[in-house]
Amino acid sequence: MNNNIVRVALFLSVAVLAGSGFLLTWAQEPPPAEPAEELKEELKVDHSDCDFFGPQRHKYTAAEWRDRFRWSVLTEEVTRQLPPVDPPAEGIVPGGSRTNSFQQLGELGTIDRHLLEAMRAAGVAPAERTGDFEFIRRVTLDLTGRLPLGERVQQFVADVRPDKRARLVEELLQKPEWVDKWTMFFGDLLKNTANTSQVARYAQGRDAFYRWMRDSLAANKRYDRMVTELITATGTNSYEQGELNWLVGGRVTGGPNQDIFDQQAANVAETFLGVSHMNCILCHDGRRHLDTLSLWGKGATRMESWQLSAFLSRTSERRIAVGTMPQPYYWTVEDNTQFRTDYALNTTTGNRPPRAAVGTIRNVAPAYPFSGGRPTAGENYRAVLAREVTGDLQFARATVNYLWKEFFTKALVEPVNQFDLARLDPDNPPPEPWTLQASHPRLLNELAREFAQGGFDLKALMRQMVNSDAYQLSSRYNGAWNLSWERLFARKLVRRLWAEEIHDAVVSSSGIPASYPIPNFATVGWAMQVPEPRGLPRGDIASFLDSFMRGNREDEERRSEGSAAQALNLMNDGFVMTRTRSSGSGATASLVRRVLDYTDEQLVQALFLAVLSRYPNEAEKAVAYANLRSGNRQQKAEDLLWSLYNKVDFLFNY
Amino acid sequence: MQGNEKLERFLERYPHRHRLFFERPHVTRRQFFTLAGAGVTGSFLARRAAAGEVVHQVPVTMQNKAHNVIFILLAGAASHVDTFDFKMVEGATPSSFNPAKVSGLDWPTGLLPKLAQNLPDMAIVRSMRSWALQHGLAQVWAQIGRSPAGALGDIAPNIGSVVAIEKERERQSSQVFPTFLALNSGGAIGSGYLSAAYAPMKINPATSGLPDTINVDGAARFESKWSLLNALDAPLRVNSPIGADTEDYDGFYKSAKGLMYNPVVDQAFRYTTAESQRYGNTGFGNACVVAQKVLAANQGTRFVQITIGGWDHHQNIYDANGLPRLARQLDDGLSTMLTDLKANGLLNETLVVMMGEFGRTVGRLSAQNGRDHFLQQFVVFAGGGVRGGRAIGSTNATGAATAEFGWSRDRDVRPEDVEATIYSALGINWTTVRYDDPFGRGFEYVPYANQDVYGPINELWA
Repeated sequence: MNNNIVRVALFLSVAVLAGSGFLLTWAQEPPPAEPAEELKEELKVDHSDCDFFGPQRHKYTAAEWRDRFRWSVLTEEVTRQLPPVDPPAEGIVPGGSRTNSFQQLGELGTIDRHLLEAMRAAGVAPAERTGDFEFIRRVTLDLTGRLPLGERVQQFVADVRPDKRARLVEELLQKPEWVDKWTMFFGDLLKNTANTSQVARYAQGRDAFYRWMRDSLAANKRYDRMVTELITATGTNSYEQGELNWLVGGRVTGGPNQDIFDQQAANVAETFLGVSHMNCILCHDGRRHLDTLSLWGKGATRMESWQLSAFLSRTSERRIAVGTMPQPYYWTVEDNTQFRTDYALNTTTGNRPPRAAVGTIRNVAPAYPFSGGRPTAGENYRAVLAREVTGDLQFARATVNYLWKEFFTKALVEPVNQFDLARLDPDNPPPEPWTLQASHPRLLNELAREFAQGGFDLKALMRQMVNSDAYQLSSRYNGAWNLSWERLFARKLVRRLWAEEIHDAVVSSSGIPASYPIPNFATVGWAMQVPEPRGLPRGDIASFLDSFMRGNREDEERRSEGSAAQALNLMNDGFVMTRTRSSGSGATASLVRRVLDYTDEQLVQALFLAVLSRYPNEAEKAVAYANLRSGNRQQKAEDLLWSLYNKVDFLFNY
Repeated sequence: MQGNEKLERFLERYPHRHRLFFERPHVTRRQFFTLAGAGVTGSFLARRAAAGEVVHQVPVTMQNKAHNVIFILLAGAASHVDTFDFKMVEGATPSSFNPAKVSGLDWPTGLLPKLAQNLPDMAIVRSMRSWALQHGLAQVWAQIGRSPAGALGDIAPNIGSVVAIEKERERQSSQVFPTFLALNSGGAIGSGYLSAAYAPMKINPATSGLPDTINVDGAARFESKWSLLNALDAPLRVNSPIGADTEDYDGFYKSAKGLMYNPVVDQAFRYTTAESQRYGNTGFGNACVVAQKVLAANQGTRFVQITIGGWDHHQNIYDANGLPRLARQLDDGLSTMLTDLKANGLLNETLVVMMGEFGRTVGRLSAQNGRDHFLQQFVVFAGGGVRGGRAIGSTNATGAATAEFGWSRDRDVRPEDVEATIYSALGINWTTVRYDDPFGRGFEYVPYANQDVYGPINELWA
């Protein structure tokens, strides 16, 4: 064997294991032995982009570490100095008990039972229950991506029924805005785009996919049904049958068909099972690559990944031109037309290392790697794959974990697509030095079982989460807070609002609507209704939204980092400035125009209620009144509204 | 290959396994000293116990010749044998590349005509080798100067962020530009565990300059709005004992205000179509215009990252739309920028560093008429006192492996060495270890630097 190849391979193997960091040996293990001849060849690969190490690695790693450090600090800062909520004007009773509800009688739900036990074991007291003003704002944003209307806030706070929070949750789950927000969420998860570097769905395909998601959510379709439809989608027009577009998105260029089957299989594993390491295994065995990253991964073999990929090996997509090429085209997805044999091990080029026969195996028959399930004679491969995936507890776990993160800010397994299948069972813990992966493994498994047994009902899962006491804890904490208590969810961890939530909050509170024509789709009034973030809506508003890092569903994911550009936008962008106007043609219905007739006290209260969903405290009132009286009252009222849009407690969900 | 073997043996003896934080066993003092060897004393550990910013450094001699850095990432990995380590391949290299000897180097004058003029200012390191062949992994590796898969790789800041935190104390209160500016680099790595204040400000240059830097109600009214906002929101923005994220937004707002109503912003970030034309009228060219103007403005920017992508020519590399198109963009933009920097006296104090994440296959083209990923690569240095007009190190006849290393460590140059070179040029001690990371394990600016495993390429200045 060529000396250079050996050297290259050795460097690669050493490099992958070595890396940088502090000068410590973690264990007294002997250095790795020289790899065998055939492995050296295996290590010299021409990978396609390995998502794990790409520019978005923070979603795999810093999510775990940086945010772990950041959230607690952020929570601490944003909330510990929040002004106390003053009792409002006479006649309105501030509702909601502020005592620690863990002392309440009655049966605790699954979530509270587990978390309370964990907190007790750690000797950590939970934060107080959050007040009603904070609760209605928090849950309305979390469930529907919108601010509650000022009047609704007042109604809710005045309501004396003991179950008013649960009733509010029901109301929010039925709103059309709930559909908008979760269509955006699943659009991100399923990476719905018109065009990527690898494949084109065109706007028509993207819009059809959007409509399928929207309709499924509006009908509260079972999530396992949705995923089954995605995996088994078969049809002749991706512009009409939205669910075809998911498999189309797995296509890759520059390689043989096996590369496409592989990418589609990798997408199944990552999106529905939360196992992104399958993408690594599709190139090489886990041994010597994933040894310190995943206990399951280090024992996984490329053959297993081929068995998964083989489920896609009879599926082909064809392009049908709408006009003459290179006009847009749509896709068909069909089985057993172009491909009638199982996954063949006969490639030498492309995006993944060569595939060669293993012993006498020249074609790999499908088998679900985690159960061994295989299609019987004549069964459609993808139907079997869908059945296996949705029947896998991991599917329920991954889904529960994704949604947990949206409501509790930190998932139970972070990063959310790096599940290690060998470290999830608390009754079979992994050997030293590995530990269980989830911060609350029994809770995660129980929630997953309940989700599965309850019919994969997304609304029911959300209802379960937001009705828990743990979700309803305050973000303020009495006493000193310790970073390591984050895992216990002993307080609410704040999150910065999505770009779309910020935009829609400005629109809804200001009373000045937005209108964005999306060609051949619809004219939308809310950023949350846009079918994909990239380049939409057309015009300057897209860069306003992009500054809040809504991602592009390809190589940039949604992030909650801040930047000076965001500050410039919120302070000066035309989008915000026009909505602080009290005069001019667009301003007739504007909030600030309406409140000009009020007294100073009522004006300030109305603005705070509309924008921040609370009343001002004494200090804020003093500043605001003084300012109102210091000059042109109309201008000062506009300035006050402007200030509220730039406040930290507008930008964050606390 | 002595130097390479030595590095290899070191890394085999001290592999850094990636373990999740709560899985890591604790290290005893004895283990620590065994590894750290000479130069680590008890007082070092005592310092570690102190609160606040604790650093450890080994005394080294830094070049300290550059004030600024422009870091150009050729994302997608440019072919080295077609550009900065040119090799004529019979029957493959197009005659239009027109190779000739310029400054003693083989140079494709047909592909990169203008840069031929700038060769006297450029030192091309040809003995560089990447650690990995995946785009994502290697691009991140180049920006953070360590393996992203290593333990602290997860939270490691961009080299530019380290520069930003080191140069923080040199900022003057009148300066309003971010220390770390990233142009056309939406995917640039951020500040890692360091405060978001040191994150790159990501801008895509436009003729209109920075957006939203004036308020439509006018400067005077903006001031009164600003006062009102701060009076209302101060309780949420004050310095806290913990610092960090809410302070981040306070910091962002203050930085934003500094950029408003400030003529220096338009002067630096705006450019005319004529200026854009001079630089080739491309996105990369525009980034070069802005980079050069921002540095000339001397408003606190010290590290500018520019990304030019699309070099991943697996197919049809020599098509007009392939390598030649991108090479033209690079040629027009970089050449004009170097010339302009020289003309306004900035080149001497600005270190320009340019590299891809790895190289491309050598010899004949692949079955798809392209070149695939390959470990051998180049890195180009210019300015900052670097002696140009030469290559450091050389490869064999095909460009597949290093023939001569060309520097004192007698082994392939690695991204970690490039990182050390940048720090040395700026007068930053590359052996620094900071103890403010969330694990308290210590963050090394350059891995193993205080064991002298990686270090700067001093030959650049010799």
